[in-house]
Order: sequence, then structure tokens, then C-alpha cells
Amino acid sequence: MERIIAVDISGRHRHNSRYLMVCAAVSLSVSGGHVKQIHGVNIKPFVSDNPPEVVDVVQMIERTVEGMEGVTIVAEEGDFFNQPEWLSNSMFTASFKYPESLSERMGIEIAHHISLSSRNLLLDPQSWELIKDNL
Amino acid sequence: MKDVIIVQRRIPRCSESENQRKLAELRELAWAGNYNVVQEVIQTRYPDRQYQIGKGKAEELAELALSQKPAKIICYNPLSVTQVYNLSEMCKCEVIDKFQLILEIFATRATTRRSRMQVELARLEYELPRARKIVSLLKMEERPGFMGLGGYEDSYEQDIKKRISRIKKELSTVQRDSENLRGYRHGEGFSLLCLAGYTNAGKSTLFRALVDENVEVENMLFTTLSPTTRYLGINGRWTLLTDTVGFIEDLPHFLVDAFRSTLEDVFRADIILLVVDISEPVDVIRKKLAVSHEIFWEQLEKATIITAINKADRLSPEELSSRLKSIAYLAPNPVVVSAKTVEGLDELKDVIYSHLPEWKRFTLELPMSGESMSAVSWLFEEGIVHSVNYGNNIVMDVEARNEVYRKARSLEKRLSSGNTAESTSKDL
Repeated sequence: MERIIAVDISGRHRHNSRYLMVCAAVSLSVSGGHVKQIHGVNIKPFVSDNPPEVVDVVQMIERTVEGMEGVTIVAEEGDFFNQPEWLSNSMFTASFKYPESLSERMGIEIAHHISLSSRNLLLDPQSWELIKDNL
Repeated sequence: MKDVIIVQRRIPRCSESENQRKLAELRELAWAGNYNVVQEVIQTRYPDRQYQIGKGKAEELAELALSQKPAKIICYNPLSVTQVYNLSEMCKCEVIDKFQLILEIFATRATTRRSRMQVELARLEYELPRARKIVSLLKMEERPGFMGLGGYEDSYEQDIKKRISRIKKELSTVQRDSENLRGYRHGEGFSLLCLAGYTNAGKSTLFRALVDENVEVENMLFTTLSPTTRYLGINGRWTLLTDTVGFIEDLPHFLVDAFRSTLEDVFRADIILLVVDISEPVDVIRKKLAVSHEIFWEQLEKATIITAINKADRLSPEELSSRLKSIAYLAPNPVVVSAKTVEGLDELKDVIYSHLPEWKRFTLELPMSGESMSAVSWLFEEGIVHSVNYGNNIVMDVEARNEVYRKARSLEKRLSSGNTAESTSKDL
């Protein structure tokens, strides 16, 4: 069984003249074809006036995975503007790679759902009303 | 065999082993296309718009072509129409890229109507975006009549579009037929198994070893283009094993789309036997497995993957175990086999059996009568009968799929309550 941190970032497009992004990291144990166990989830929001570049993406991911347990960070090639794996890997302090197995892709899909839903929640005024009521 | 020169433009700072692997793949593809590689030209640089390789290297290639007189020049990198035109003008020789070579191989191997149509479709889809440019390049000197070339270009493009839509229509009918056949096979209680994996991994050899039949096997890429299906009995369970076309790295989308109906046999199977050639270097195995996983991820509905680690006879036990460890994260349910020496096939069958869709094991008690005897023979046909005791009643230990179980239970109920023979035979 392999221990990985699957990462995905949602919101890398302009919204009300700003970039409102949410990065989700999921720590998982995976086998060749299945996700065996989810150990933890970290979510971090980021706001920027400029479109994110590769260096920003790396920083966002490194800040999100801080304190999480996992051997290798796995994220999709598209998040790094399809640059070669060795180039992305060299920018991280931790070990990094693009997904290879079905289970690693499943992990990224989980991270994608989490980051997308979190961003939708943050942008939805109705959900803020609910949160305020419960505070 | 015709002589060819192969050309590869490498990306700067890309790993050497990967470049070597890609060149080796092109070499094998050329061999599969019945070509003899007489010279290899390699250059590391970013692509040139006019020639793909640098102008100086293209001139060097032209000199080589003049001395070697090859039938073709095959380039690993995809070429634009302008690049093909410029290179062939300079080298005075036909120039093709890897995708055209794959299309050529597919065209020579296609034997069934379906695969012939698929190859034709792939060729047309490859040609479509280039159609206008091809005509304008070929007719560069010639500008007859008012508005020059427009007429030619449009009609050529329209012709291709019409042929594409006609072939797609015919293919959809063929596809519907094969879907019906799959549904029928499922309904009849067959579990569908499918061999998948990188081309030349030994799928056809494993297929032949499993079903004990002579299927064309060659040490060559793309030997199998049309899927072959045969019956395979595993511990009394009925399965249908299908041998399919192999995967290849960077297979262009038009080719994947064209062979979708062939690959659908893989995606609709209950169990996929992912065949891996373990004798290759670990990096290559990893890359090939990753390509297979990527294809599965995009298309797979619901299937169990069993990894058949093939060609194990070529490695020592120590080397085999170290390689297995390093590819474990990419190999679900691994089983070590050697299709050539027939080693590990029983273990493979056991693993397949344990992953087959579940059958129910139940005990049936029927009164001794004529109708019960016909029910017994029906159960022998439809399931696995572990034991039958003929006493005052017939007591059977049977394993069968859910539909058969339900039918058998209602039969038991009816026969025990002494219902008429008419209703029983109707039920059977």
C-alpha cells in the first residue's frame, strides 16, 4: 500500500476581477486499483489579483499540505500548465509526481470534489447566512 | 522489406532513457510495418516550423537520403502538412510521421469489415484538417480560372466529410450488433473477460495458452486488430475471453475514437486481464502501466482489474520479486505467469474465479417425479451441480446465478405443493 497526498485547486479563473481559489489536499492510502483509507483532509482558500503562475501553484499546494502525513504529493499535469514532471518535481521541497495509477486519479477526484464544493460554499451568500446564524 | 530512415527530434533536457524508449518503439513500429531501418537521425532542439528538425539537420537528412535511397523517411514527432511537404521536397523521398505509420500498419492488418471501416475512418479523420492545405500545396503553381483554388479545396474537404459520416453510420450499426451480442452473452450467464495491455505484451500468447487454441501470435506490434472471443471454462463457471488490440503511448485521439468499438470490449468486461511484459526495464513497465491506467480511467465503467505479469520465465526469482515490488502500486491483483511455458495459469484461473460475479450456492429438495428429473437436467445445464442424492426426494447442492436460483426456488415450491406439469414445463 502506498501513502500519498492527492491535491487539487479550484477557481483558477477570474471572478469579480479577482482569483478566488481553494486548494484541497487529501492524505490517502492506496493500492493499485483502490483507495484503501482516507487519513485526513486539508482545505485552504487563496485570493489573488493576478492569475496564478506555476510558482504560485507550488506555494499554494505546499501551504495546504503542511502538517499532513504522506510520502508523495500527487497532482494533475494540467494544474502545472502541462509542464514536464521533472520540472514540477524540482520546484517542490517534498516528493512530487503526476498521477499514474487508477487509485491516484481517484484520490485527485476526491480532492477535486472537496475543493470545488468548498469554493462554491464560500461564494454562496446563502451559505454565509446559515453560518452566521450558527455562530 | 523496404529501407527507411527514422528521425527523432528530442526535447532538450528530457530524460535520455525515455528518448531511447520512444526511438525503440518507432523502430519496432517500422519493423511491424515491414520496413528495414537503415539509418537513425536524432536531433535535440525545440521544433522548427518549416522542417520539425533544424534546417541544417534536414539538409544532412537529404544527403543521407540521396546516398541510402530509402523508400520512406519516418519521423517520430507529428508533422504538419507544410513540414511533410518541405522535408519531402528537400529529401526527394516520401516522408511520414509515426501516426501515418500506425495507420499503414492498421490498414495492412485489418481483416474484418469492422476493422477495415475503422482504419478508413481513422485515415480520413487524420486527413480532414489537412485537406485544404494539401490541395493548396499540391496546386501551388496551378491557378486556373476565377478565384483560383477555392473550388478544388472545398470539394475535397466536403468529400472527406461525407465519407466520414457514411462510415460512422455504418459503424454505429455494427456497434449496436456487438452491444446486443454482449447483452445476450451476459443474459446467458457468461462472465466477460478481456485481455488488455500494451501492444506486444503477449496478450495473444496468453489467450492461446488459456483457451488452448491457435490464434495468430507474432513478436510484432499490432498483431491483433480485430477482437477474438472464445469460451473459457473456469472451475465450472462459463466465461468468454476476448483478445483485443494493444494500447500504445501517445495514441492520437482520432485513432482512439476510431478503435473505440474494438476497445469497448475491454471497457464492458466484468474482469480485465491487464497483461504486462515483466522482462522489460522497470521504467518502461511503469510507463506502459501508467498509459493503460490512463485509458482505463477515461473509459472504464465497472470492472475488476487483474494484472497478469507475463514473461516471468525470462527473469531470475530475485529480479522478478524486486521488479514486482517496484511496480506494485500500478498492478492491482498481480499474478505471475508465463504464457510461453504455461506457468502460473492455474493460479491465474483461481484469481479470475475469485473475482467472477457472485453465484449463489444453495440446496434444493425436489419430490421424485418426471418433472423433477427434467428440472435436474436443467440445473446441470444452467449451473454447477456439486452433488445429487436420489432418495425419497432428490436433494441437490447447486451453485448458480441469481436468476437461476430464483427460478429453482419457485420450481421447488410448485413441485412440492404438487402443481401441474404444464406450469412446470412452461417455467422451464
